[in-house]
Amino acid sequence: MAAVSPKERMVVVIQSALLVLLYAFLYFPIFFIIYVSFVDNTVWPFPPEFTWQWYQRLWIMSDFHLGFFNSLLIGIGTGALASIFAASAAIGLLKYRSPLRGVFAVLYLSPLFVAGILIGISSMMFHRNILGLAGNLHSAVLSNTTQALSFAFLVILAQLTRYDWRMDEAAMVFGARPARCFWEVTLPTIWPSVLGAFLVSFILAFNNLEITFYAVGAIPTLPTIAWGTLRHGIEPELYALTAIINGLVFLVLITLFFLIRLGFVRLGYRGQ
Amino acid sequence: MTEPALKLVQVEKSFDKVRAVDKVSLEVDTGEFFSLLGPSGSGKTTLLRVVAGLETPGNGTIHIGGRDVTRLPPYARGIGMVFQDFLLFPHKTVGENITFPLKMQRMPDDKQKEQLQWVLALVRMGGFAGRYPHQLSGGQKQRVALARGLVSRPDILLLDEPLANLDLELRKEMEVEMRRFQAELEIPFIYVTHNQEEALTLSSRMAVMHNGKFEQVGAKLDLYNAPKTRFVASFLGSPNHITGRIKSVDSGTAVLEWKGLQLKIPAYAGCRVGDTSDYFLKHERISIQAPAEAPPAEGDNRLKGTLRDIIFKGQHSAYFVVLENSEELVVNAATEMPDLKIRGPVEISWHPEAGDAFLSEET
Amino acid sequence: MDFLQKLRQNQNFRFAMLTLPGALFLLFFLILPLISILIFSFWRTESYELIADWNIGNYTTILGQKTYLTFIWRSLAMAVSVSFACLLYAYPVAYLVAKRGGRYRLVLVLLTAAPFFTGIILRVTAMQQILGPIGLLNMALQNFGVEPIQALMYSNVASAIGLIYLWIPFMVLAIYLSLLNFNFELLEVAYVNGAKPWRAFLEITWPLNWIGTAIGIVLVFIPTFAAFVTPRFLGGVNGALYGNILEHQFGATGTWALGSAMGVVLFFICLIFIVIIWRTINLERSGYTGEGF
Repeated sequence: MAAVSPKERMVVVIQSALLVLLYAFLYFPIFFIIYVSFVDNTVWPFPPEFTWQWYQRLWIMSDFHLGFFNSLLIGIGTGALASIFAASAAIGLLKYRSPLRGVFAVLYLSPLFVAGILIGISSMMFHRNILGLAGNLHSAVLSNTTQALSFAFLVILAQLTRYDWRMDEAAMVFGARPARCFWEVTLPTIWPSVLGAFLVSFILAFNNLEITFYAVGAIPTLPTIAWGTLRHGIEPELYALTAIINGLVFLVLITLFFLIRLGFVRLGYRGQ
Repeated sequence: MTEPALKLVQVEKSFDKVRAVDKVSLEVDTGEFFSLLGPSGSGKTTLLRVVAGLETPGNGTIHIGGRDVTRLPPYARGIGMVFQDFLLFPHKTVGENITFPLKMQRMPDDKQKEQLQWVLALVRMGGFAGRYPHQLSGGQKQRVALARGLVSRPDILLLDEPLANLDLELRKEMEVEMRRFQAELEIPFIYVTHNQEEALTLSSRMAVMHNGKFEQVGAKLDLYNAPKTRFVASFLGSPNHITGRIKSVDSGTAVLEWKGLQLKIPAYAGCRVGDTSDYFLKHERISIQAPAEAPPAEGDNRLKGTLRDIIFKGQHSAYFVVLENSEELVVNAATEMPDLKIRGPVEISWHPEAGDAFLSEET
Repeated sequence: MDFLQKLRQNQNFRFAMLTLPGALFLLFFLILPLISILIFSFWRTESYELIADWNIGNYTTILGQKTYLTFIWRSLAMAVSVSFACLLYAYPVAYLVAKRGGRYRLVLVLLTAAPFFTGIILRVTAMQQILGPIGLLNMALQNFGVEPIQALMYSNVASAIGLIYLWIPFMVLAIYLSLLNFNFELLEVAYVNGAKPWRAFLEITWPLNWIGTAIGIVLVFIPTFAAFVTPRFLGGVNGALYGNILEHQFGATGTWALGSAMGVVLFFICLIFIVIIWRTINLERSGYTGEGF
């Protein structure tokens, strides 16, 4: 509760204006494209002539169906792998004071510092020329998992650092074996963050273009179809797709947010 | 006539309708070690922050060294301050931490070095200038924090519970050191604490704060020996607290009915029969002896009881006496009392004026 | 004694069991592929096939020919200016949310991060709908009879705006997370000791949050340097960046070896940037105490 002098208040006002402007910058294009997806006159949609036709056209394009399904599979596969690896790594790194902790932490975060396209092309070349495999959904899941793993790791780490490992010691003093201790104490506390890690990796892989495009071979996914369509000039069906994906992402994020909030309240150890 | 080092006039500060500081006026002279004592939430830290300029007062004026600083930001007030958690800059060395105020004043480098050597010698931290804060112990951090506060020889040094996070032994050591710094430099110290022992040990004058107001301001012994308000009496010295009803009043003394026992107490102003009254009696003001050894002085209170326990505290011990009405009083007396046995009978006595009586607050 | 020794071995074993699976996964699916393109970059491509004919021709092509160097410089300039713009904009915003967000700060910061999850392709689509030739901005100008702003349409400026749009969430998040662990009381100490607000910022806030800020800069720099979607749709004829010609090698031309070498160059430029940034970090001067990581 620092003093707020008039000068300081002005700084806060300017900062708030910047924040509002940032929100506008980030969300206006999204809301505008959602709006455009509902109108017939997409080029200059004022006044709007509302229509469902872009959604109907999207609906009958079988490519999109397949792409959606494939993206879903990539998302689920990546989400599952990344969150399990990340949870196990985060627990290991925080619970045991090994001298190798730093090395492992750097390794787990390293994919964040490799450009997506580089992960994509290197993974494609590796599969094609070393393993002799054509790109498919499996390779797409595997390469997406590398980057998603870092994000999942960060999400879980963020909550686990507030976890008090003495709770485990307490459980062991009262006779719980390590495995039992994990089921009774650790897991109930950390599941919201594991779920959060799953959802974050899921969304990232579902929408990923740079990695998936190269790793998935000839199989269509939503982003690769969108990329292909966009190359031949923008089609209004893409507006409908953007609107749907944005809607889904926000639904997932809101669910995630409330799950974590409720999870913290009901189960989580809040720390100080 | 010299200006006081610090002068507060009717200072007020509210947070969301809660009056944290309520019309406080105060003058502190150069060379004083002044303590602000109060329980947590009494507003003492807020008052200190108002003086520092970290909070803006709602009303009132603040003068430091004769200069009106009420509307000045903290960086223009020329003060030194020592914070509760030391708050050393973790990315700066001890030397850089200490010379920070000098750097802000754009003092030339060689002059800064000179000042640094002087203050490091003063706080006995010579040779530590190149260390980082996380390489220091708690006591060393404390010395660095003090050095940073003193290095620019400010008009006034504010200290916000600086010893709260040190263990007892270090605290005793630092208490002695702080008295030394203050005496050597003759900079007025405004010392905020909730620890009455600290305040009583360190300061020359002090104020007891409660609910944002000054209960009493004065020399520390005056506050200790002659508390003017019920709160000060109940707070300083953590005395025995006796609550009863006034049975009779008679020129200067009254009789208090306390759960079946009758005590003589000093009659406070406006004392009436039937009033509920509080009587605060400091532990060391009670005498304890084996029953009927020597008759007590005329007019003293004299009660019989059983000794429940003795807690050894060095030269003195605390004797827990259960009286005939099943109430317990604590007596501080010399440790060597061979006649007294736990669970044995004892007799306690004191002069009525040894305690302080006040009308009870309505609850 | 024996028991303790066993326990310690046991702990190392558990640590390995928990951390190794993910590490091996990354080794196999991130690091080995990167090593493989390093190898391929010294090979040769002939009619869409890689041939193990060791040479450094790909590198002399990239680093010797003016066209490739131009793309490198252009991408570098783009990445530096976009990172700088993001930094300049994100710092005050992250500062506001971290210091004064109170109980809403998580929501406030997640709102800046949320659009990131939609994926770049759809976000670029949305941006093109604003900045493109038939985008909102241009059409609005036409409707009001004003000349279109050339600088905002199919230009490097449009690319930069698109890239800021894509990656500023990283910068906000990185600075925000750093400021969350920053003790704002240290600023009060600086004020009391005579530092004016901007001085206190330079002396205390900036250095103590430099690691988080540096991570934000790197996280914006790398995807911007490697960008290929944004410049393609917003950059116009002269807007192609390094990522575009890299992508080209793996598309139409199928020159895998040259493409691999370009990938390696991309990797090392990013690495050099990371090292340069890392060199500015003095762990002792970052307030790092050795606790935690």
